[in-house]
Amino acid sequence: MDARAEPFATVDRGVAERLGLGARELAAFRDEPAQMASGTVGKDGFLRLGFERRGPRTILAELDRRIPGMAQRALYPEQALPDLAWVFMITTTGCLLQGDRLALEIALGAGARAHVTTQSATKIHAMDANYAVQTQRISLDDGAYLELMPEPLIPHRRARFLGDTRLCVAPTATVLYAEILQPGRKHHHPDECFGATLLSLATSAMRPDRRLLFTEKLVIEPGRYDLRRTGVMDGFDVFGNVVLLTTTDVADRVDARLGAELDASAGLAYGACRLPNDAGLIFKVLGRETGPVKAKIRELWAVVREEATGTTLSAPFFWR
Amino acid sequence: MRDAPGMPSSAAHLLRVLQFGDSMLPVGAFAFSSGLESAIATGVVTDAERLRAYTRTALEQAARGDAVGLIRAHGAATGDDLDALRHIDAAVYARKLSSETRTMSVRMGKKLIELGAEIVAAPLLLRWREEIVGGATPGCYPVALAINFAAQGLPARDAFAVHQYGVAAAILGAALRLMRIDHIETQRLLYSLNAGIDADYEVAAATPLADMAGFAPVTEILAAVHVKASVRLFMS
Repeated sequence: MDARAEPFATVDRGVAERLGLGARELAAFRDEPAQMASGTVGKDGFLRLGFERRGPRTILAELDRRIPGMAQRALYPEQALPDLAWVFMITTTGCLLQGDRLALEIALGAGARAHVTTQSATKIHAMDANYAVQTQRISLDDGAYLELMPEPLIPHRRARFLGDTRLCVAPTATVLYAEILQPGRKHHHPDECFGATLLSLATSAMRPDRRLLFTEKLVIEPGRYDLRRTGVMDGFDVFGNVVLLTTTDVADRVDARLGAELDASAGLAYGACRLPNDAGLIFKVLGRETGPVKAKIRELWAVVREEATGTTLSAPFFWR
Repeated sequence: MRDAPGMPSSAAHLLRVLQFGDSMLPVGAFAFSSGLESAIATGVVTDAERLRAYTRTALEQAARGDAVGLIRAHGAATGDDLDALRHIDAAVYARKLSSETRTMSVRMGKKLIELGAEIVAAPLLLRWREEIVGGATPGCYPVALAINFAAQGLPARDAFAVHQYGVAAAILGAALRLMRIDHIETQRLLYSLNAGIDADYEVAAATPLADMAGFAPVTEILAAVHVKASVRLFMS
């Protein structure tokens, strides 16, 4: 019982609905939208991606989906890492709306290597009823390698959003999970810089034997806590949070190459901390705009590629 | 579950709380600045007003995180539930995402339990010391403080107050050595920051263990900056 994490089912289509019902922070937002009811067809999306190593490359062996969840076929765009499968996830509704309950599952078999991302940023639309939930359940077998790097989240005014990510990682596997949170469309409307009502973002990781590695739960309520306060966001607007779960060897080498700095005049701050239980490291980046945050995460990504796979990250694709 | 029933409010009780809430208690709190050293070096904290805001952030983070574990641990210790204590200790430890905050928590936790085992000598304190020394549990400070208070029959609210006082006192004590500020000003800040303690307790006491949360990215980056800094006076 002591350091054991709660296990998660490999296929669980009701998890987003259940989590939403159980979350204390969502208690004030249980009213139903005037439009489509929460969690109904088109709002209870599901996407399961199962990657397996087959001969010289990784294939997308399993694809199970329910709208608005969808994925393109696997692509192999990187010459330096030709076995690495790239998959773009798609949300056919194009954004998150009140009442949405979306579940993502990604499973990598032994030795499989994949990069999973989204086509574009994920908007979380303004809400006047209910909330949106997105769950992510990620599992990696021995020696597997995953880069889960979606485009930024953009919470609009009065958004209420619960994100819950759980990773189950074999000791020899590596996962790089990067998320970027924008303050809103701050150049569109002054109210929309930290205009969301509630963002609850939880990430936790465990070993296949359920040993808990780390937990982070970020609850952001701009109406209750001043996000500009010293020690919280200060003068920064964009928040990048990157988790690298890997072997101690790789974590040591990556850590040795990373700097840490807080430069308010340049509008950029970043630094990595070593996670408990030898899980790897967590890298945080703050910026005034999204571009510099993305660039900093790309630097880290390149270091991880070199130290974990021994290859050099391709130059940015013109289609990105 | 929160407060020991029938606990008389006596001077002896008050002295126990004062002794274990004293910033002079030899558990090593003085060695840590909780990121303030980096905050001053990078210009995040420049004056008394920013220091106040930085300390308030630390108090809020503690109230929504560590202190939730502390209150749960006080209940578990009152019920002599060692399994629950190990579970809470692991949960608190798994949320300490920087090596310096982990070091601070387990070092102070271990020293406090050793001190309690020597001078209070309650069976649970002796048992928890064995658990820590034997590596069965990390021994985080909030859990150690809760066990210490429960073992003396002191209520959870007092343990919470001592915990929060320790968070503020460590930062303000470090401020005296790191920036241009005098004792009167830091005491003024401490006095005004303490005003919110009961409201914070009610929120923390109503929060389940799994909902320990926070959000202070600048503070976390300052911890990372401190690890890589070449000159350091404090251990965090």
